[in-house]
Amino acid sequence: MAVELFRIDDRLIHGQVVVGWGQPLDIQRIVMVDDAVAASEWERELYRMGVPEEMSVEFLTVDAALAALDAILADARRTIVLTGDVETMRRLVAGSAGRITTVNIGGLHHRSGRAPCLRYVYLTPEEREGLQAIESLGVTVTAQDVPVCDPVPLSDVLASTGA
Amino acid sequence: MEAFIDVIPFALLGGLLGLDFVSFPQAMISRPIVSATLAGVLMGEPVHGLTIGVALEFVAIETLPFGASRYPEWGSAGVVGGALFSGWPDTTAGTLAVSVFAALATAMLSGWSLQPHRRLIARRAASRKSALLAGSLGAVTGLQLYGLTLDFLRAALLSGASLLLFRPIVSVLLSDWPVAAPLSRAGVVAIVAAVGASAVWKVIHGTKGAAWYLAGGFLLGGGTLWFTR
Amino acid sequence: MSQAPRLPFLIKAEIFLRLFAIQGAWNYETMLGNGIAFAMEPGLRFLPGGKGGEAYRAAMARHCTYFNAHPYLAGVAVGALLRAELDGVPAAHVERFRTALPGPLGSVGDRLVWAAWLPFCAVLALAAFGLGMGTAGVLLLFVGSYNAGAVTLRAWGIRAGFGRGLQVAQVLGAPVLRQAPAHLARGMALVAGFALPLAARGIIGPGRTLLGATLLAALVGAAALGRFARRSEGWRLALALLTALVLYAMVR
Repeated sequence: MAVELFRIDDRLIHGQVVVGWGQPLDIQRIVMVDDAVAASEWERELYRMGVPEEMSVEFLTVDAALAALDAILADARRTIVLTGDVETMRRLVAGSAGRITTVNIGGLHHRSGRAPCLRYVYLTPEEREGLQAIESLGVTVTAQDVPVCDPVPLSDVLASTGA
Repeated sequence: MEAFIDVIPFALLGGLLGLDFVSFPQAMISRPIVSATLAGVLMGEPVHGLTIGVALEFVAIETLPFGASRYPEWGSAGVVGGALFSGWPDTTAGTLAVSVFAALATAMLSGWSLQPHRRLIARRAASRKSALLAGSLGAVTGLQLYGLTLDFLRAALLSGASLLLFRPIVSVLLSDWPVAAPLSRAGVVAIVAAVGASAVWKVIHGTKGAAWYLAGGFLLGGGTLWFTR
Repeated sequence: MSQAPRLPFLIKAEIFLRLFAIQGAWNYETMLGNGIAFAMEPGLRFLPGGKGGEAYRAAMARHCTYFNAHPYLAGVAVGALLRAELDGVPAAHVERFRTALPGPLGSVGDRLVWAAWLPFCAVLALAAFGLGMGTAGVLLLFVGSYNAGAVTLRAWGIRAGFGRGLQVAQVLGAPVLRQAPAHLARGMALVAGFALPLAARGIIGPGRTLLGATLLAALVGAAALGRFARRSEGWRLALALLTALVLYAMVR
């Protein structure tokens, strides 16, 4: 399987994804799943600017991503599938019928209503439930911002309160 | 008492250069090739400072400040390394090894200290939240100044404390160093050059053709070495 | 797109200078959000109602919240967001724009500066040291070349952002930004290969046998790091090795 990472990151495409993960894992493609971005041309154009020329990028809605999931997984290019929020990833996992087995929490940042867990993970009560729902589908959920750090299991993330 | 007074200029320099690392002005005077050299200048031994600065810079090539990942802070570390290395005669065995050791340890400690530092700023922001949400200029400017001041103090204290801690340790170690001077130096160079070379490889290996440029450069450098004996 | 509003020179200069302290209050919650508001503030005084007016305060409150970007490209955000505010773009649209900007600015900046320009200038300085350049020369070369790029990038960013406003994506696609990282990587490879043996000699001093063995050990070490420790950090291994050596020297 050439999808290296299913990642939730509210910054979507940025340096940690493109350089931090992209260089050590030789990432060749990013699939961004976000209904709003897929429908907005100026946002797509902006995000495209963050992707190096040697990487390709696709913007899909959740429905389109699920319809194309087999093709995405079968593609030989090393890929990161990105969502900007927990709910989108939950829908993706729920519709994947077991084809997604691991999810990485890469960054969910400070915003009103969110409480700190790790220094790069802040969660609302709904997001906590969403992550547990993903895990209850048999998916391994861990938080890890960059490859050199150790992954933190979801139970530890939810139990932490310090940023 | 005298030891404390001696350390003050280095603490101030470490504060200024540590501040450069993240807060202001990010001119990369916090890179070890600069910070260690400036510490050497303070000691009256600029060449010594530059020498250890280059050794540390090899290592620093690996630690590029991406996003929120943790990284060593080189401003204070270079000052500590440069001051220690410049404090002993050239011929003393082990100076480079223990100075690089002390600098790397300082870099790690200083990198750690950035975390509580950032939490303090966040706490300050939380306590001024209503003013910030009301769009108060005073609150925004105040938070900037608070962060800048705190960062300077953090780096200055860390450089000073680290120098006070390591100077006696280094002195004891060097009084009876087990490895001959040239071999000890070569060992350190092998370690830092290995880290630097692998870091360069990490950055360039994804670029088409870059491996050939690296090999070509190495041959050119090796050749220059051979003919400039 | 409307004509760009004109700001007095001193105001532009003040914004530019404030960019250097953009990360002054960097923290894990709002990152450089506070710095964005701080840098933008002189321009916001030109909103209807002036300094302290309703529009000014609303904009300040909006922009001191969470924002992230590469520090040198944060000027693009400061310029573009200031332009949007002065053009009277609705708050909801500005918010959406604020959400989309950090990713590309971080990604372009990290690749161009942290992964290309900085290490390129560093190996250039190592090469100069290896060739026997004096202390002042090496320092000037490193600080000068690096900052010629960094300051230019900051100045370009604020101009481009303010000039384009919401259409700023176009300038981020500029060929120089897109292609420079690959060119710099090749340049860095060449200079780094050249610098490694020469800088090593610069530190070790004369003596060909020892130098050869050192370079060989370094290459083997680098290969081992690349092969077995791709995800770990070499500087920690270096520190561990030196700690072991120091402990040995102590207990022997």
